[in-house]
Amino acid sequence: MAGVNEYIVLSCILFGLGTIGFLTRRNALILFMSVELMLNSINLMLVSFSATRADMGGQVMVLFIFAVAAAEVAVGLAILICLFKHVRSVDINKFNVLKW
Amino acid sequence: MNDLTYAFDLSHLWQVTGGQLILILAGLVLICADMAMMKTDEEVRSKRLGWLTVIIFGLTASHMMSREWDLHNTVFMGIFSADKFSIFVSIVMVISGLLAALMSIGYLQNNKVTKGEYYILLVYAVAGAVGLVQSVDLLMMFITLEVMSLAIYALAAFLKNDQYSQEGALKYFLLGSFGSAIFLFGVALIYGLTGTINITKIAQALSGGLYNNPGVLLAFVMLMAGLFFKMAMVPFHMWTPDVYEGSPSVVTGFMATAVKAAAFGVFIKLLFVSFSPILSQSGQPDFSSTVNLAALGAYWKPVVWWTALLTMFFGNLIAVSQQNVKRMLAYSSIAHAGYMALGILAANGEGRMGILFYLFAYTLMNIGAFGVVYVIDGKERNAQTLDDYRGLGYKYPALGFLMGLFLVAMAGLPPTAGFIAKFYVFSAAIKEGYFLLAALGVLTSVIGAYYYLRVIYMMYMKEEIRDVVRGQVAAPTVIALVITALGVLYLGILPERLATIANMAQQSLAMIF
Repeated sequence: MAGVNEYIVLSCILFGLGTIGFLTRRNALILFMSVELMLNSINLMLVSFSATRADMGGQVMVLFIFAVAAAEVAVGLAILICLFKHVRSVDINKFNVLKW
Repeated sequence: MNDLTYAFDLSHLWQVTGGQLILILAGLVLICADMAMMKTDEEVRSKRLGWLTVIIFGLTASHMMSREWDLHNTVFMGIFSADKFSIFVSIVMVISGLLAALMSIGYLQNNKVTKGEYYILLVYAVAGAVGLVQSVDLLMMFITLEVMSLAIYALAAFLKNDQYSQEGALKYFLLGSFGSAIFLFGVALIYGLTGTINITKIAQALSGGLYNNPGVLLAFVMLMAGLFFKMAMVPFHMWTPDVYEGSPSVVTGFMATAVKAAAFGVFIKLLFVSFSPILSQSGQPDFSSTVNLAALGAYWKPVVWWTALLTMFFGNLIAVSQQNVKRMLAYSSIAHAGYMALGILAANGEGRMGILFYLFAYTLMNIGAFGVVYVIDGKERNAQTLDDYRGLGYKYPALGFLMGLFLVAMAGLPPTAGFIAKFYVFSAAIKEGYFLLAALGVLTSVIGAYYYLRVIYMMYMKEEIRDVVRGQVAAPTVIALVITALGVLYLGILPERLATIANMAQQSLAMIF
């Protein structure tokens, strides 16, 4: 059975994957998913910390983070749909009317 | 989080977070009012909601000034605190919201987007920002940070038929949520290592020997990076110009001031309360031993030193090459974040007082400048380039004068608030021996003066090449512009009073809880 440390390492790896995904992918939807992956890896980490410390606080935090993540996606997708109506694409390289 | 022995007491909640409660409830009232006036003409409805919002912000500000200011560091359930420092920053943000609401009435009419939800979002953005600086708990900080940010993403995307606005909002959203995720990672690490997310208990845990734990330092860096995103500090500034240019002008003015104030407020709180054990063991980093993790904490000063320098240089240098006035102001707001960072680096009472003064002054001059920009614009993106400003000083003398005043204030010339604000942060840095950085800062501010004064040069010395017709000037916009202009001049000539208040506010931080 995996110990708590393995979970923490796993969540760090997931966070790293999310970060790499955010920085390298060019599809706005994949970027959303990468941010979600980052948030969920943090949730995993909080739960594991909560288990090590025998403190419910971490698990309560996870519930709050779920709610915030859901709200974030709602706003983000709404903005993306509005932009999609103008650009007809979700490729962030095509979102280039604003540049220096 | 650990001890839930607090009894939930409604009157205590009202006492500590009265301002926030007013805002949250008022948001609900606004939603109902919008519904109740369904049958009224949309423009009239939006105007009424606008005035209602102004009244709400006025009530909140006066409540905070009269009631919450005198509470000495009262904490509600380990979540929110009413200390003079956070109340001061909250009042700055409420004033920013008030001025933005006044200007929005005219702005929405000019752009034919008279939708009621605008004011609801504005009220909740301010409520989130107030919650952010009042919170003494990292989870609550994250939640309120998101409440503020989500409302502002929606405000940035408010011009639905404008591709620029949508694109700016999406960029803001993506990078903003990335920044929040990084902040949250720091929160999780802190929770795991110290077992608490209360900012004072973190300080106790750290001074109990955890301060040289590499995980704590990683968490410290992550929290800093997350907030640097919101503060628009180099190298986390990439979103700023695009978002500020794309967003509706009034919203830009609001987010340049309120978000910056909130981020600076919470940053100072975290740095000087939670992480004071790390700060106090500064000094020269020890390179002699191979891996000396304890000395890593000493790096925070060099890091802030370079960040401040890069922010000032980058913001000011790139602003010089900008042709769009809004984009130029965006780069200037990056530069201003750099000046404020000098106050953080100084890490003394004078520096913190300087930042508070700077935030107040910056709010007035920046919102004022964006107000003039929107009036000259008429409809968004109508007349924003430097060439459009040619000869405006003679065509519209009052607007030209106001723009000139705000730009002079941003350039930091006397007798305006901008000069005094810069004077405080620079003198704080010099007092701590940062002569080189202060000198370089003054140098960048000379570069800054070039592009600010270039706009004034265009307005008064050049012939008009394109017939720019300004938009309608609504009465509330006039009120807001007069308030900001008088404020900028008043603080420039008689700064002592605000400086004393800001000093009281920063002292309350030192004896927090």
